[in-house]
Amino acid sequence: MSHIHFPDGVLPVWLWASGYIVAILVGTILLRLTKKEALTRRLPLLGMMAAVMVLGASVEIVPIAYHVNLTVFSGVLLGPSLIFMATFVVNVILALFGHGGITVIGLNTLTLSIEGILGYYFFRLIWKVLKRLTPAIFLATFIALLFSTFAMIGVVSLGTSHYEELIHQEGKGIFEFHLSKEKEEHHPGVAAEEKVNLRRFMAIVLPLGFIGWILEGVITSLIARYIQRLRPDLLRIKT
Amino acid sequence: MIQLSYLDYIAVERKSFLHRLSPKLKIIGMILVLFVIVTVRSLPGLFLLYVILLTLFFIARIPAKIFPLTLYPLIFAFLFIFLSGFRIFFILLIFLKVLCGSTGVVLLLASTPYPSVFSVLGRVLPSSFVMALFLTYRSVFILLTCLEETQHALYLRGGVQWKHPWRSLINISNGFGHLIIQGIDASEKMYESMALRGFKGKIHYRGE
Repeated sequence: MSHIHFPDGVLPVWLWASGYIVAILVGTILLRLTKKEALTRRLPLLGMMAAVMVLGASVEIVPIAYHVNLTVFSGVLLGPSLIFMATFVVNVILALFGHGGITVIGLNTLTLSIEGILGYYFFRLIWKVLKRLTPAIFLATFIALLFSTFAMIGVVSLGTSHYEELIHQEGKGIFEFHLSKEKEEHHPGVAAEEKVNLRRFMAIVLPLGFIGWILEGVITSLIARYIQRLRPDLLRIKT
Repeated sequence: MIQLSYLDYIAVERKSFLHRLSPKLKIIGMILVLFVIVTVRSLPGLFLLYVILLTLFFIARIPAKIFPLTLYPLIFAFLFIFLSGFRIFFILLIFLKVLCGSTGVVLLLASTPYPSVFSVLGRVLPSSFVMALFLTYRSVFILLTCLEETQHALYLRGGVQWKHPWRSLINISNGFGHLIIQGIDASEKMYESMALRGFKGKIHYRGE
C-alpha cells in the first residue's frame, strides 16, 4: 500500500536499466545461496503466496487504489530469498495487466522486496524483544513500508533532471536522445516554475503513505492473529 | 482480478487475426511499443501510437469490458503530475505514455494464452523464475475459487460495511487469513501431485 507502481516511459532509461541490472544481480546471488532441492520443494508455496499478493493488489480497501501488499506477511512466511523471487513474479504478472510498467519491473521488484526482506528481519527482531505477536507484526509492517516508501521517493528523485527535460521539451523534438546539446534560453521567473517540485510530490505521497502503513499494519496484524489461532506452525515462532 | 479468468478465456477462445499471430511476433511488437514510449517525446507521435493500439483493440474484437483495465495505471500517473508545475504538456505526455503501455500489454495478454507468453520469457529467464510464474498464475485461479467461497462466508458474517469499519477490517483480514491457509494447504497438495507425476524442478511446455 505504500508504494506506487512506476509506469513505463516516466523514469529515465539509465535508471530503469540499472534497476534491472541490480535486480538480476540480487536475484542471482539469492538463487545461488538457496539449495536447489529446498527451492523446488518451496516453489508451490512461493507461487501461492505470490498469487495471494496479486489478489491483494486487486482488492481495494479504500477507493483511490489503496490495496494490501501482503509482502511483509509473505516475507515472514517465505524468508528473505524466496520473497525476492515472489515479488519479481508478482511485478511481472501485474505488469502484464498494466498495473505497473514492464521497463520498471526491476525497480518495482527492488522497492517491493525491501518491504518483504525488512519485514522478515524486523518481525524476528521485534518478536525476540517483545514476545507479542500483534505489536511485533504491526511494527515490522509499519517500519518496512516506511523504508519502502522512502526508497520509492529516492528512486523518483533520481530522475529529477529527466523530468525537467520533459517539462522543457515542448516543441523541441520528437526523440529522447540528441546527438548534440542545444543551447537553451531560460528566463529566471519561468525557470523557477518549471523546476521539478519533489517537495510537493512528497507532501502528497507521505501523508497518503502514512495512512496506508497504518492500515496495512492493522490488517497484517489481524491476519497474523487469525493464522496464529488456526495454524501457529506457519509463523514458526516459539511462544 | 476477477477479470483474469475472462481475459484468459478471450486469449484462448477468440480467433481474430491478432489471436492467430505468433506469440513471438506479438512480444516483439510489444517491445517496439515500449521502445516508442521510452524514446518519443512528441504528443502527436504518442497519440498516433495510442490510436493504433486502440484500433488493434477494436479490430481484434477485444470486449469493451476489458478496456477499463487499460485506464487503471492513470491513478499512479496522477501522482507524477505533482512533480511538475501542473504543465499541460508534461501531464499529457505522461498520460499518453502510461496509456500506450497499459493498452499494449492488455492487448498482448488478451490475445495470447499465458503459457505462450511465459514460455517465450523462459528463453531469457532462469527456469526457476518461469516455474514460479506458471505456478503463480495457476494459483491465482485456485485462490479465486477459494475467494468466492470466502466471500459468501464473509457476507453471512456482515461483510464489509463502512458504517462498522473495525468489524469490516476484521472480516477482510480473516478472509485473507482464510485464503492464505487454504492456499498453503493447496500448495502442499500441488507439490505432492507434481512430485507423483515426476516433477524435478522444471515444467516443459510443448506449445501448439
